[in-house]
Amino acid sequence: MLSEKITEPWTSIGTILGQPVIDSYTFYLKKYKAKKGDIVAAEAKLPTGEGKVIDVIVWGRITEIMSSNDFLPNEATKELTEENINIQDTILPLTKNDSICVVTNLGYTKNQVGEKMILLPINYPVAPGGTIKYPAKKDLASLLNSEMNSKNPILIGNLVAREDINVFVSADNMVSRHVLVIGMTGSGKSVATRRLMRELMQKNYPILIIDPHGDYLGIVKQAKKLFPNHVIKLFYPKISAPANNKEVIFALIEKLGKKLTDPQFDFLNWLLDNIPYESGQSLTDYINILIQRANTAAANKRNKSTSGLNGIGNTGATTMGVVARSLRVVQSKLKQMEKDNRENMEKFPHLKFEELPDSYSQPENIITKSQVSILYLKGYQSLPSSTIVSILLENLFSHRSAGNKTIPPFFTIVEEAQNFIPSRTEGQDGYPSVETIKKISTEGRKFGVGLMIVTQRPYKLDETVCSQMNSYIILRLKNERDQRFVKNTMENWDDEVARQLPNFANGQGIVSGQITNLPLTVKIKFDADLVNSDLGDEDFINDVQNWKDSEKTSKKKGFYKKFEKIFQSDQRKPN
Amino acid sequence: MNQLIGNNSSLFSNFIKNSIKAPSPKVQQNFMKVTAELAEVIKKICENEKLIFDVNYEGKKYWEIEKKHRFAFVDGGAYSSFLSSSAPFAIRANTYIVKPDELLEKRELFRETVKFVGNLYDPEKNLYDLDEDPYEDNQLLTKKKDAARITFETAAVARHVYENEKFEYLLLHGPLQTPIMPFSGPEFPLFKKEVIKYILPFFKKQEISDQDRHFINVYLNSIKYIKKAKFNIFGIVEKTGSTIYLRNLLYLAKRKGLIDEVSYNKTISLIKRYKINDASLFELILSDCQALKPLEVEKQIPSKAWGDWEEQMNNFPKVFIGYLRTNKHQSPIRIESLNNPKRLHKDYEYILATSKLLPNYGFPAGLDVIDKAARIHSWLGKAAKGYYQKYYLNLALKSKDPTTIISALKSISDGGRKFRNRPKAGRLAR
Repeated sequence: MLSEKITEPWTSIGTILGQPVIDSYTFYLKKYKAKKGDIVAAEAKLPTGEGKVIDVIVWGRITEIMSSNDFLPNEATKELTEENINIQDTILPLTKNDSICVVTNLGYTKNQVGEKMILLPINYPVAPGGTIKYPAKKDLASLLNSEMNSKNPILIGNLVAREDINVFVSADNMVSRHVLVIGMTGSGKSVATRRLMRELMQKNYPILIIDPHGDYLGIVKQAKKLFPNHVIKLFYPKISAPANNKEVIFALIEKLGKKLTDPQFDFLNWLLDNIPYESGQSLTDYINILIQRANTAAANKRNKSTSGLNGIGNTGATTMGVVARSLRVVQSKLKQMEKDNRENMEKFPHLKFEELPDSYSQPENIITKSQVSILYLKGYQSLPSSTIVSILLENLFSHRSAGNKTIPPFFTIVEEAQNFIPSRTEGQDGYPSVETIKKISTEGRKFGVGLMIVTQRPYKLDETVCSQMNSYIILRLKNERDQRFVKNTMENWDDEVARQLPNFANGQGIVSGQITNLPLTVKIKFDADLVNSDLGDEDFINDVQNWKDSEKTSKKKGFYKKFEKIFQSDQRKPN
Repeated sequence: MNQLIGNNSSLFSNFIKNSIKAPSPKVQQNFMKVTAELAEVIKKICENEKLIFDVNYEGKKYWEIEKKHRFAFVDGGAYSSFLSSSAPFAIRANTYIVKPDELLEKRELFRETVKFVGNLYDPEKNLYDLDEDPYEDNQLLTKKKDAARITFETAAVARHVYENEKFEYLLLHGPLQTPIMPFSGPEFPLFKKEVIKYILPFFKKQEISDQDRHFINVYLNSIKYIKKAKFNIFGIVEKTGSTIYLRNLLYLAKRKGLIDEVSYNKTISLIKRYKINDASLFELILSDCQALKPLEVEKQIPSKAWGDWEEQMNNFPKVFIGYLRTNKHQSPIRIESLNNPKRLHKDYEYILATSKLLPNYGFPAGLDVIDKAARIHSWLGKAAKGYYQKYYLNLALKSKDPTTIISALKSISDGGRKFRNRPKAGRLAR
């Protein structure tokens, strides 16, 4: 039936068993002719609405293989174990293993193979006794690509079950409909994001990467060699805020500073209302002005002068002093973070870091065709990072939504997303980036702002943002809460998927949703040349074995010993 | 409970009361006492004759050494259904051949050594020559089926001998020689010539006479052929109600003067009355991994044969029968051979080692394997029967005669008057 149009012969690998239902069936497998995850085809007949019966190919995925040997009683295995007998030495049969496969149906196509094969929902079970075939590479690849129906397919990897079949995803849907990438540490999240990023770069699509750990520095290092026609910029943040959004500054001070009482809040509000903030101004500079003003107000209050105290006549000097101290704490923390960030940058002297341009007034320096902008946030705590990202994305999104063609459509990769869109249950709902990313996730499609949310802790993510993700790349997950989250979020979830998650190897995962349309278990292609060799894997044992104290530490230890000697000689120790 | 009993018939009430309060304690105690005492005496006779011996079992070591040999296991399977219009019949004898140390693809062979599919009413598709088969009552049909089964299993063994196989051991599931007196009745049908030639290839070179085609002669010739085998052949019987060893042991004891004539006769009578058999008695005598040396016994009883067959019965070779206890839980298994085992300890060690692979069942694992492989499953038989019935009903429907159709319907639904058609009373239908 199939032989007319197929490109290569399809091998018969089994026969349908028992009582198939519409969604699934089981079949007897010829030994070793297929494996878990393989996509197989069954010849079948389906009724049409017009009372006809048509010949179709029903496509399904092997979700489980059960092996049994009816000729090998359990009690025999007991004896073999107890007596430490090798079964191969005995007369017990080894070749009578039967393999029964469970297949979950994906859909049917008309009874021909070609360029356009769209999977349609099945309305009738396959017939017991039917033959199961192993589709040829070209035909299966053709099905997967037809099903994706994309003008711009990009390579993500190959099927885990069939290494000879490349898997492509739809770049069109990826940049417009958002992707959630989930996986525990070491599962291959960065492998997946770097892979897709590289493919998007081939299409000169602007990319913005929020990189809290420096996972993408390898790309910068290799930029000239690998991407000679691209501009790859590495930015460090400048904490500033738009003049019209002092709420961000207030939140930052509130979260980073000491806990304030109501009168102290009132005074902080008064300060923010009365001291103008210039767009793009450094936040530490602005806080410095706030501190000075608070100190002046407190001094005036103590001197019983009313100068410059309009509206806060009842506020005491002590209250003002507390606010000034809190602001100093905030300023100190911000400076420390800037310092940490700077020190981290100094570890890569060969890389050129630039200060992030003002996203409101100079967005084209961040987003432009053939440019990848990486915002390096290492050293910054979650809240300041969230603030920086919120301001940046808010401005860029507003440029896109204004439709003034200042910047082209762009794709944003948010690494360690749990730091930027924490769920309310995490008690961090005051993070400014939550609302911004939420807005992009719901409206970004209209304005060409795409999101890729990358996290190892999906259950800590904001539910609204997650619900707007239309595609998923799910890598190895062992945490049950994370698995539950995925179950609740993902369409087409079944328990079979849950069983696979903890067992994926590095770089293996499920690609699902609108970027592929057909849930596929994929081995993601590893781009070794994009790995940042400066970061390397953690090798602390080796670090310790090769450890040498710095000159400063050596001297310090030397002095300590000398002082200890003096202290031991001390005869006049206090009681 | 009492109320329930009270509401029922007096027979029911008394029957239960009797079972609870007085389950014949004297009779049961007496059985236990007699059996135990007889076991003690028989054990002493066995010890006196040095018949009991220990069989070595070191599973790991045994298989590491013996894995180099080829082993075979033979068993048969049959399906038959006796309808009014047809008697669909399928029979086969399969062999499981294994050489443990061989590469996986060559290690095992499951062979359908001899097989036949047909209809015992159909002259064209029959094992037997219907010309020689004047009556077809069910009892005879069952005998025909049994004779075919015995013949096919023996034929499978004979085929391996004929093909000059190099087995270390061949085990047959069942006795190596079956008492064939029931088949000596007048006019038991003859096998067809082509059947004989197919299942017993060593017959091909000879001109087959009518007498040769009778089951008893076919069986005798097969057994004689098997007896000449160059490899060791044993028949293994798992469940036995036989007293053949016990009777022969007592006879031996009498012959040697260990017991007197009167005691011998009384014991034989007691065994019959108490329904004591080899397996139940030797279970009390043998421990795990212990065996009884084989005794040479005559399986056929010529005096009980019909007509001219008495002389032929004498031509059947004697059989060597021993018992082996393969675990603590099961009765000993019976081991039969046509020749006196020359390497008794080694042979029984092999049978014990294969049986120990099934530590609970205590039966050679290879025979369990081939039992499953040779069995003709009821689902297959029922399907075949269904096609026969369908064909018959179609024929009736084509006649368009209501009486024929009703008769056919009754015929395919197991006849007209049936116990299950009795009227039901007393309970409301659900």
